[in-house]
Amino acid sequence: MKKIKICGVGSVLLGDDAVGPYTARWIAANYEFGEGVEVEDLGTPGLDLIAYMTGMDVLILVDSVDNHQPTGTVTVYDKAAITHHRPAVRLDPHSPAITESIFVAELAGDGPEFVYLIGVTGEQFEVGASLSEPVQNAISSVVEKALERVVEHGGSYRKRDVPLDLDIWWENARMSVVA
Amino acid sequence: MAKRITIDPISRIEGHLRVDVEVENGAVSNSWASCTMWRGIETILKGRDPREAWLFTQRFCGVCTTVHAMASVRSVEDALKLEIPLNAQYIRNLILINHGLHDHIVHFYHLSALDFVDILKIPQANPAKTSALIEGLSPWTGNSTKTFLDAQNKVKAVAASGQLGIFTNGYWGHPAMKLSPEVNLLAFAHYIQALEYQRKSVQAVAILGSKSPHIQNLTVGGVANAINLDSLATLNMDRLFMIKKLMDEVKPFVDQVYLPDVCAIAGMYSDWFNYGAGVTNYLASPDLPLDGKNTKFDLVGGYIMDGNISSAHKFDGFRDKVFVDGVTEETKHAWYKGEEPLHPWKGETDPEVGDWSAEGKYSWVKAPRFQGKPMQVGPLAQILVGYALGDPLTRKHTDKALDLISTVAGHRIGVEKLQSTMGRHVARAIRASMLAELGEKHWTLLVNNIASGDVAIHNTPEFPSGEIEGVGVHEAPRGLLSHWTVIKGGKIENYQAVVPSTWNASPRDAKGVRGPYEASLLHNPIADPVRPLEAIRTIHSFDPCMACACHTFDPEGNAVATVKVL
Repeated sequence: MKKIKICGVGSVLLGDDAVGPYTARWIAANYEFGEGVEVEDLGTPGLDLIAYMTGMDVLILVDSVDNHQPTGTVTVYDKAAITHHRPAVRLDPHSPAITESIFVAELAGDGPEFVYLIGVTGEQFEVGASLSEPVQNAISSVVEKALERVVEHGGSYRKRDVPLDLDIWWENARMSVVA
Repeated sequence: MAKRITIDPISRIEGHLRVDVEVENGAVSNSWASCTMWRGIETILKGRDPREAWLFTQRFCGVCTTVHAMASVRSVEDALKLEIPLNAQYIRNLILINHGLHDHIVHFYHLSALDFVDILKIPQANPAKTSALIEGLSPWTGNSTKTFLDAQNKVKAVAASGQLGIFTNGYWGHPAMKLSPEVNLLAFAHYIQALEYQRKSVQAVAILGSKSPHIQNLTVGGVANAINLDSLATLNMDRLFMIKKLMDEVKPFVDQVYLPDVCAIAGMYSDWFNYGAGVTNYLASPDLPLDGKNTKFDLVGGYIMDGNISSAHKFDGFRDKVFVDGVTEETKHAWYKGEEPLHPWKGETDPEVGDWSAEGKYSWVKAPRFQGKPMQVGPLAQILVGYALGDPLTRKHTDKALDLISTVAGHRIGVEKLQSTMGRHVARAIRASMLAELGEKHWTLLVNNIASGDVAIHNTPEFPSGEIEGVGVHEAPRGLLSHWTVIKGGKIENYQAVVPSTWNASPRDAKGVRGPYEASLLHNPIADPVRPLEAIRTIHSFDPCMACACHTFDPEGNAVATVKVL
């Protein structure tokens, strides 16, 4: 049985950057999975990502990307594409570190064999903003692509008969303030 | 003629710290530290329920999640004068201890060791010699010739695959790299082992906090960990012993690997005790409270001025009047409106966008000051304050580290030498060994308290209709963190977070006095302006963590830190 993890990454406070955490929570509320499959909202872990990918066979990341495509475009990158560019000389050791984390975990011998980044092109990253409409509309396609990868690697899923509450607490709290 | 170097990882929304230095005759003659991203996250807290503020502050930063959650609940509790139950205090302390251990181990091995360790020299090492080198110095079982041979083979395999380039985030082969192939191999083997041990600390946080990286168990007034030693669904004996087992595994790693490695590398690079002192005013908060009212602490706090490390002023608690009255923030050189120094309870976060200007505004970080002075915060401040106050725990661990460093260096390194780039690494390792020892203590306190029949975990907050002010203080891994809250009629009226990296990355103040990063870079040697490894060593020694709240991945790899030499 393969160990598969779907991770939403990004900041829930910064508009479209919340697409990863939002999608992870949406998947967890609407689907249940067979043994070996986990879903997590990891926020912005920087190099701490290593701690969460260790021991996994397949890592499926959902994140916002800056790739000059129209907002809401969904692009899947595989491990070779993600690690194609070498990481920067970093001043601030806690900047995003997907590439570096994969490489360090691999060096230690317990990195995931397969890594996918399902990227959603974002447009607004204002503090306190909601997801933009094109990004919101892209979520169903992101979910579909994530579930495809789960099945491809031997995992199983089932749509819940009754969905769990979708806990997007940052949106709910925002609405309560507006009200 | 001075040469200007800009080290800038800037891209559209990634990368936050920019450093500019002028180099003259092989050393830094002028310096600026800038934060390139607006951190105005506090503004979204206005009008919210103070009981849920910690959920938002926990997302300020993806790495320092726990510390912002803790400072936030402490801040609201301080405003309400709300005591918390002993169990809640101990559970919080155990979370903070394990988070701190994780953070320090990762900082040394995975974020900064490669500033001193040259991977390219590892293939030339003799693994048996590496093992002989450390035999007798550390009882650690992971120091066999086979372990080192395996580590060396990993490097060789990566080098052979042509992938080493992907990992070239250091400046390997730089003339400032001085360790022998065998010592480089030793450090690298422990770099790999450290991955496993930092994860154990994360697991301990996850058990206590119900989840990690974002803990779920805090409430204003205590914690949400229901305690029933016989119930599967609560904090029971099984879970308590899982935590104990994890801490029992991490402590030997800290005592037998992390601290000795830092001391050995420090002894071999003892010239780095001569650079990077910078601002020698130090500020640290007490932490790990031992009672529900926050009057007794296991970590001492206070301040030292002008490098006078033989005496420190002690803070009696989180809300020591001298501390609370002494803090202001200035914006003369930061991209905010307003000129006057403001107390955080009166703080404003009103951006004024502009271009980077060496004489004018050049950073999104405000300039916090204590009694009008820039202050260095972090493990070094905490160790120096504790040492000056004669705290036995601090003295025991510090003296042990200094003895080991002096043995390796072949000459005496005294406590005063800790005021340096290398001293910040050493202080962090000392603090980790103190935390590992305190972890055992607080676990025992918690278990004994539960065994005495106390299962209280929460006191209910009640908000008055008028206006109240609170400060939540935490001595976080990177130093003194304070959240300042004003609550009016049960809603947040104002919220300001003065974070450790704001103190350390501070720009100049109205008088033109530099902040700690800036001051520490002065007189640093720079052998090669195109590869300013020495400047990076000094900046990394602070463990900078700018507002890493944004996390968009750039598949084109454009977020590369560029070094620009003018």
